[in-house]
Amino acid sequence: MIARLRSRPGAVALFGLAALTPLFVRDAYFLDSLVLILLWGALSAAWNVAGGYAGQVSIGHASFFGLGAYAAALMVTRFGRGPWLGMLVGVVLSLGAGFIIGFLSNRLRGPYFALSTIAFSQVLLIGVSRWRGFTAGGEGIPVPFRPGFTTLGLGHIAWVYMALAAALLCYAVEVYLERSRLGYRLAGVREDEDAAEALGIPTRRLKVLAIALSAALTSICGSLWAQYVGFVDPTYVFSVDLSVKFALNTIIGGMGTALGPYLGSILITSLETYLRATFSGVKTGFAGIYLIIYGTVLILVVRFVPDGLAGFASRLRARRAHA
Amino acid sequence: MDPARRLGPAQIDVLAQLAVATVLLGGIYALIAVGLTLIFGIMRVVNFAHGEFLMLGMYLAFWAFALYAVDPYVVVLISIPVFFVVGLVTYVLVMRGVIQASHNVQIFTTVGLSVVLQNVALVAWAGDFRFVRPWHLSTVIRAGSTTFNLSQVVAFLIAVGLTVALVAFMKWTHAGRVMRATAQDRDAATLMGIDTDRVYRLTFAIGIAAVGAAGVLVAPLYAIYPTAGLQFVLLAYVVVVLGGLGDMFGAMLGSFIVAAVEVAGSYLFGTAWKEIFYFILFILVLVFRPAGLFGQRGAETLGV
Repeated sequence: MIARLRSRPGAVALFGLAALTPLFVRDAYFLDSLVLILLWGALSAAWNVAGGYAGQVSIGHASFFGLGAYAAALMVTRFGRGPWLGMLVGVVLSLGAGFIIGFLSNRLRGPYFALSTIAFSQVLLIGVSRWRGFTAGGEGIPVPFRPGFTTLGLGHIAWVYMALAAALLCYAVEVYLERSRLGYRLAGVREDEDAAEALGIPTRRLKVLAIALSAALTSICGSLWAQYVGFVDPTYVFSVDLSVKFALNTIIGGMGTALGPYLGSILITSLETYLRATFSGVKTGFAGIYLIIYGTVLILVVRFVPDGLAGFASRLRARRAHA
Repeated sequence: MDPARRLGPAQIDVLAQLAVATVLLGGIYALIAVGLTLIFGIMRVVNFAHGEFLMLGMYLAFWAFALYAVDPYVVVLISIPVFFVVGLVTYVLVMRGVIQASHNVQIFTTVGLSVVLQNVALVAWAGDFRFVRPWHLSTVIRAGSTTFNLSQVVAFLIAVGLTVALVAFMKWTHAGRVMRATAQDRDAATLMGIDTDRVYRLTFAIGIAAVGAAGVLVAPLYAIYPTAGLQFVLLAYVVVVLGGLGDMFGAMLGSFIVAAVEVAGSYLFGTAWKEIFYFILFILVLVFRPAGLFGQRGAETLGV
């Protein structure tokens, strides 16, 4: 165990620091940033399971995020039950949706797969926006705050640990994919699907599995997010921008690396928080300026550092070892 | 019993009106989609920022109308060279570096471009809905039992004219032949002495010019706001996949199919649900005929 931890000093430092921070820092603003970094990191890691490890690049992961968020919010507001049950329902729905998307787009590769995932999230967006009687439509649903663990009405410090638990869960799945037979087979699918198929790997089944697993993790984080933020609306939770955000964090940090999504989240979430503070007074809003920078970063990173921060770091290390 | 006899005059009027609406809409969708399919067919890049160029076209029409009272259908003439240059610049700055890169790099490059353009528009012109209201928008034409306004008809005619011109260009000019040759086989074209970089530059510029002009044409018909491109581009993906990625004739036919689905869906279920129909159509096509209704079978599994 100790030896294994030693082989991942970055993760131990990162998650350890996150766990210790609430003991010393009580500033609500800072803790809020920490929760968001961990949650967006966990979501990006969930995206990485399909996008990075299995090579199934989706631009529709907001579908699963939205399903989780809505399941938790509706379970509380419509059925008067706890958000945990909603989270479970969200996972079941997302697993189902993941299987459907994976199955339907099984033969599709590259841009076709990305397009079909966008279409799926748009169908959900339209469906949820129009089904006013149940989902409250475009107005969205405020999620009531009821203190207690079972209702997920937590304080800032407890939220840090909750987000950390989600982050560790997604990280653990990523590490499993790096060390297990399943992970190696998925890497085979990612690198050369035809060759993997020829070697007797059931590529289609594995792709569906990776997408469903990634969907379930995304949904869990979506449920947590809904309870943390306290408001769910369809145009945000099913947006293409959100799907891009999961991908962007992962690409910046390094696709197919376990720690990459978290590194990306630290960078992008802090940038967002900083810009929000800097431009909050500007009339046109900070969102535009922030997103211009964000889009530019995306273009530059995929062009010049396609393997992200993690890849860049390991190349530096390799060069140093060489010299 | 003959079904036509069962239809009363009222039903025939409705059908005629729906048919006219389909044709008018389909013509405009075709112009949006041919640019996308052209870029895909030749460069093998799905341009996820295609809708944003349409949005920029709409703003060009808006500002020309608001500041100088220039009619959108005059602006179309200016918009073609303007967006041709915009396409050239975008190609050189953004696309050239990723043309040989993997799909993921290309997808996220154009997605990033789309995010940047949307938000440049948001910062520069704010998020308000804006409208262009030229005189011909309120000129109603009646033909038989159908009614439509002059703007729609003119937009349709110009869109069809431009689409036909583009197809003719591809078919009969030397540049068009060179572009088609590159689409067929990049390596063979290079061996024949074709400068593929120039071909891509031209392709991207033409594709953007087409969608920019389409943006100007639809400006009087729809609200103008920074993410206005999204609704059209999603629809254009449906059209293009339906027609087979890279197939211009397929895209034209696909446009009319999508327009028919949209018109019939809005009539039967209300406009609120219209988008859901073409997405369902899209998903069905991806499942059953992923290379498009008329495309080569198996193209989707090549990951082209």
